[in-house]
Amino acid sequence: MSEDNKTPSVILENVSKWYGQVMGINDVSLAIDGGVTGILGPNGAGKSTLFKLLMGRLKPSQGSVKLFGIDPWSDTSPYRRIGYVSESERLYDWMTAQDFVSTLARLHGMTREEANARAEHVLDFVGLHDVRHKEIGKYSKGMRQRVKIAHALVHDPDLIILDEPLHGCDPIARTSIMNVIRELGSQGKTVLVSSHILEEIERITEQIVILHNGRLLALGNLYAIRDLLDKHPHRIMITTDEPRKLASAFISEEPVYGVRFPEEGKLEIQTNDLSAAHSVLPRVIVNSKVSVSRIDNPDDNLESLLGYLIGGT
Amino acid sequence: MDDQGRKLSETVWTQLDRKAGAITELTIRQLRNRISTWVVLGVGVLLISLLLAFYIDSIRANFEPIDNDGDSEDWDNDGYPLGQEMIYGTSDYDTNNYPGSSEYVYLGDIDYNDQPRTHYGNHTWLYATGYFTPTWIDEEAESPFSYYNWIDWGSRGIDCPDGSPFDDWTYFQSPSYCALENGTYVVFGASFAGEGEISVEPGWSAEWGYMTESFFVEKHPKSMYIDEDPINGIDDDGDCLKDEYQTEDNSPNDSNRNGISCDVEWIYDQNGNLVSIRADNNVDEDPDDSEHIGESSHRTFIIGTGKIAFVMILGLFLPLFLALGLVRDESENGTLHYLLSKPIHRGEFILYRLLGYLGIVVSYTVMLILIVALITSLIGPGDSIVRLSDYPVWMGIALATILVLTAYGSIFNTVGLVMPKYGVYICILYGIWEFLMGLFTITIPNASITMLSVSHWAIQIIDAVVMISWSDTSLIQQKADAFGLETGISFFWHPPVHTLETGNPFVALIISVVIMLSISIGMIAIGQSIFRNKEIM
Repeated sequence: MSEDNKTPSVILENVSKWYGQVMGINDVSLAIDGGVTGILGPNGAGKSTLFKLLMGRLKPSQGSVKLFGIDPWSDTSPYRRIGYVSESERLYDWMTAQDFVSTLARLHGMTREEANARAEHVLDFVGLHDVRHKEIGKYSKGMRQRVKIAHALVHDPDLIILDEPLHGCDPIARTSIMNVIRELGSQGKTVLVSSHILEEIERITEQIVILHNGRLLALGNLYAIRDLLDKHPHRIMITTDEPRKLASAFISEEPVYGVRFPEEGKLEIQTNDLSAAHSVLPRVIVNSKVSVSRIDNPDDNLESLLGYLIGGT
Repeated sequence: MDDQGRKLSETVWTQLDRKAGAITELTIRQLRNRISTWVVLGVGVLLISLLLAFYIDSIRANFEPIDNDGDSEDWDNDGYPLGQEMIYGTSDYDTNNYPGSSEYVYLGDIDYNDQPRTHYGNHTWLYATGYFTPTWIDEEAESPFSYYNWIDWGSRGIDCPDGSPFDDWTYFQSPSYCALENGTYVVFGASFAGEGEISVEPGWSAEWGYMTESFFVEKHPKSMYIDEDPINGIDDDGDCLKDEYQTEDNSPNDSNRNGISCDVEWIYDQNGNLVSIRADNNVDEDPDDSEHIGESSHRTFIIGTGKIAFVMILGLFLPLFLALGLVRDESENGTLHYLLSKPIHRGEFILYRLLGYLGIVVSYTVMLILIVALITSLIGPGDSIVRLSDYPVWMGIALATILVLTAYGSIFNTVGLVMPKYGVYICILYGIWEFLMGLFTITIPNASITMLSVSHWAIQIIDAVVMISWSDTSLIQQKADAFGLETGISFFWHPPVHTLETGNPFVALIISVVIMLSISIGMIAIGQSIFRNKEIM
């Protein structure tokens, strides 16, 4: 492990992958090592293709993929140090979580006893300790995701790749999975998490890679990117009974440069500094004594971020 | 260094072992959790049970022995079969004449023209016609015969009609005697016991003799005269050798006319094949008796079950249902990702999946074969309680079935891998081809096209093992052919073909096993190399 510290765990050099005429990944170069990295991109951006290239499921049409310095297409040895959570929803529904995880642990060459102990440990880690002897078929979606994560962690890997781990989970499972991912990052492991929801990634990590149409769009700290976004005109949508009364309270605030009433019972606030606007928001609402049922950030999503990034470059 | 090397290789081996164990175990559990697995295994059990039922039924039917010369019949219902009556020289058409019964012995007679025409004595008189002047008559004597006109003295005192007895009386009515006034009886063709003088008119006759003491003879069971096995040219029940039965010209105890009485002649063609067996009358009623048909049917059942039920039906259907989706289904379900994200080569993965599949189907077929072997060896023909000589044949059938399951399993798995959508149709077509080639191998063993099928070599294995374990099967076949007996042995079994001209069944066995293993290994290798270069979405 120590000798690998010099080279990053994941290296992609000018990797392209196309399926017939369709481009999956287009000339992507990346080096990732240590901590949690969010792979962000809308559906079809090439996130899963990227992961499948990393896991040796697909052969790059061009360029080279290296995991710990080894090409995963021809050599399975890096998998000893990698945990992979695929996007597939299917599991062996007839198995218990304990069975499933320990069986897969044995594929790492563990004995039955070792595998059982490790399975129990990781299922405890993802919060499924109490239900681990129940059949997976009876699990909720969030529990199933956590089983998948548990199997990826069973051999204590250095690199963990999670393809949409939060997909379809309820808020409680989401929080618990996010905690697990953050915990892994803080243990010094390299974690790759993909998502098409900015907010999810934001809660996990600052380090992101943005993919769009198979291209690497941005790479770096989320907040640096976010700051760029903040300087862009931004909207906050407030649903309230008295939009005009609230509008008059907002119009005097510094970050707000305009208000609009797009429809009955709604107030749209326009700002150039989203974080500043958010910081004054609670105070203004409380002081105006107007009841507010909902606050939305229609521009605070991946699409508008991408739109801005594409427009800006 | 050496020590370390050993330690390293040990860990590599044990880790491999653990991976193999885990995937094999997973595969077995997976197959066990599928309903289709239980359906196909259940259908297999049903098929074999049905065959067993037929077997038990036919074993019962075939063991009704056949009496070819009819000497087990007892025409007069005296309890002594014809064969036994022939040995004692008694009649099987006379209730009163049976082995040990009191027998009439001839002493003398007065024929039509003999002189003198009177005789005195204490005799049993037979068919006497004349004047009998008794000193004593045994009125209680019962007729030792059924066909002579025995006098019933109870109706004594019948007066004779008027006139001269042998001139005027146109016919004599029953009772066949009457009393004259002087105490003399006129008898006409009558039989009786008593002392006195008989006077016979010229032109008539009378005979006399005595009855022997009767003695007890044990009645032979009819079955003694049915089976005279084995074919050895000996008149086992003795009903041919009985001297009295011989006549001078065209003696019935040399009915095959080879100049030897009571023998069996075996006729061969120039190749040494038995053409026919000709036995003298009442000698050896084989080979179409219970033993031959029983043994022959028993072997036919085992060979037929092995070839058709195990190799051609179970051997094809089990892999079609269980092996086709071994890797394909995992790939289609998306569960393959879990397995392939572990440090395991894809080639290894295929191998271990097949091992898991074999774990189920091999234990299943071995269990089925053991059950059938046990039942048939217990109720099958033969003197011993258990037919031990069947077991090597069953082992050969198990070997052939396992090799067939391995070969088809690796073929179907590879086809499923290459063509996930249409593989099943290809496999069904291929299965039909294999089945037809199997049938051709059974009917035309020398045809060379059948060598292109797996079933051909599996059937060769069974043929070879039969030849090794039951070396007299050829002879049984020849007997069946010579006598036109429809036991099916000639249809279901042929000596193995691929012996490199040696005729040695072991050569055929080894060649077949090697070819089947090569097919399996080749198909696994093809599957591995395809899978290794396959992109998994």
